[in-house]
Amino acid sequence: MISKFTAIEGRSPGYFALLGLFGLLLALGAAAFLYVELQGHGVTNMTNQVIWGLPHIFAISLLVMASGALNLASMSTVFGAYHYKQFGRFSAFLAIALLSGGLAVLVLDLGRPDRMLLTMIHMNFSSMFTWNVFLYSGFLILCFLYLWSMFQHEKFTKIAGSAAFAWRLILTTGTGSIFGVIHAREVFHSAITAPTFIAVSLTSGTAVSVLLLLGVFRATGREFDQKLVQGLRNTLIFFTLLVLYLLIVEKFTKSYSPAFYEVESWILTGPYAWLYWGGVVGAGVLLPLAILFNRSLGNSPSGVVAASVVSIVGEFAFVSHVLLAGQSYPFNMFPGYRMSSPFLDGQTASYVPSFPEFFLGMGGVAIAALIFLVGIRFFRLLPEKAEAPESWHPWNP
Amino acid sequence: MTVMDRRKVLGLGGALAAGVALAPGLHLIAAPQAPDGASAGRRWGMLIDVTKCSSGCTACIDACRKENNVPLFNNPQRDIHWIRKVELQDKAGRKPAVSLPVLCNHCENPPCVHVCPTEASFIRKDGVVLVDMHRCIGCRYCMIACPYKARSLVYHPTSLPKNGNPDVPIRGKGVVEKCTFCVHRLDAGRPPACVEACPGAMLFGDLNDPGSPIAKRLKEVPTQVIRADLGLKPQVHYQGL
Repeated sequence: MISKFTAIEGRSPGYFALLGLFGLLLALGAAAFLYVELQGHGVTNMTNQVIWGLPHIFAISLLVMASGALNLASMSTVFGAYHYKQFGRFSAFLAIALLSGGLAVLVLDLGRPDRMLLTMIHMNFSSMFTWNVFLYSGFLILCFLYLWSMFQHEKFTKIAGSAAFAWRLILTTGTGSIFGVIHAREVFHSAITAPTFIAVSLTSGTAVSVLLLLGVFRATGREFDQKLVQGLRNTLIFFTLLVLYLLIVEKFTKSYSPAFYEVESWILTGPYAWLYWGGVVGAGVLLPLAILFNRSLGNSPSGVVAASVVSIVGEFAFVSHVLLAGQSYPFNMFPGYRMSSPFLDGQTASYVPSFPEFFLGMGGVAIAALIFLVGIRFFRLLPEKAEAPESWHPWNP
Repeated sequence: MTVMDRRKVLGLGGALAAGVALAPGLHLIAAPQAPDGASAGRRWGMLIDVTKCSSGCTACIDACRKENNVPLFNNPQRDIHWIRKVELQDKAGRKPAVSLPVLCNHCENPPCVHVCPTEASFIRKDGVVLVDMHRCIGCRYCMIACPYKARSLVYHPTSLPKNGNPDVPIRGKGVVEKCTFCVHRLDAGRPPACVEACPGAMLFGDLNDPGSPIAKRLKEVPTQVIRADLGLKPQVHYQGL
């Protein structure tokens, strides 16, 4: 039984403050884009070694999170966890919002964003980018269809939800494969890169859903059943353990081969080791698990919120590590030789993001946030009361 | 706003998304036809004799910069290199240090061409890998994929240098550029500028012509290519490495 869906009132000072904050960030993002577009990427701190910088980190983090944001809808439609059905509309709408923000940053960070239409005129189907153009736009369509079915034609919800679920797995495989298929880059070339992206999308998508659900329900004074908090905690635990498993399998497989000793020891002890251990492993896996398995914190909404925040930091760290460590590790053109050149061959690249890059990335976050804020104000996306069936007793670690 | 209106908004959103998805299948603008000047029977390649390449010599680089108007921005991280000299030191210390030029390898299976979403990077019939500067969107995926670090993004606005070569147009900011094997010279029957500047160590020619000096030399002496394990079939060969 789902209580009535309603839009939020959206008249509180807090709501307008959030609109103002993200509106300002959007304006700063637009200014950063114009600055980079007019002056060239020379005003960023990207180089011919670190080619994709902070804007790509923001964009890919948002895209990965968008795919995972559909979790709650998929859990009810595809896997029969009907107590999450009440979050289906929210979930599909959030996926659209995050995807829009991520895509905006990705396009605006092109060297020639004015030529974006060329990707739709001249297509190269051996390129993962071309496939991703279809995957992202297809995901948008399916999310809209899914939403439409949930709003008006429930009989199509199962088929639309199942299609969106399958599509998002392919979508995140496509995003991970942008990196995984590149043989030249030893840090991220791996068959397991794409599955790890899927696992990270599941954690971060669930985490952002938890944050926004609990935040909106609290701010609007709506009830949120404690059992649902526990259920979401369990989902987060499961997905985080999946990330841990894939990280271990990857390290185990690569550490078994002498060909990877050098790059693996660089990842674990080199200049980006802090990001790997502190961000990917610490924030992405260990800290959330420590919070969620704690009897007191894991059962309190604020504890689950804290774990969700840390999970999102972990996702950002994971994407940052793939991109920055992946590009900074010198090309191994002559195995067994030490290289040097005026083009900085053989050296670990350095990169510190610039303000325009930061604001361009935050512009994407602002787009996602504004779409979400306007959406919950004008559409009936959330139930008046989040209830759990009495017969359901979530597992308690 | 009524509930129906909101549904219409959602419907319009869906229609917009559908439009974006379907647009890739439409050809609104006819693609320009590439001039068919290259011969499929040829396969251009280069052989570099490392034993004749001295550490301090930059003749090939200087000739390339001049011929192709390759800019320097006085920033090692942003400078554009179509060809560069690399110093190699055996990690075990058993072999003497060597110096050799590295450039685009014009691979038979070029990863840059495979990943380019707009087919701006393409391979000519004669095996020369080129970038269509009018089609490059500056996504830089080719730079991620190239194992030879042979490509550079133009980070700053550029202009034709004072004594620049008017035969080679400068590339605008925001696109990716690389060695073209001096394709404008090849089409005029001349070797690349770097080869002309270094006739001792660099040999250039048609690999498909068994009578060409490069094809003969490749048969006679042991040579290597960089990262043969990747299966890219590079067309720049090294002797004495």
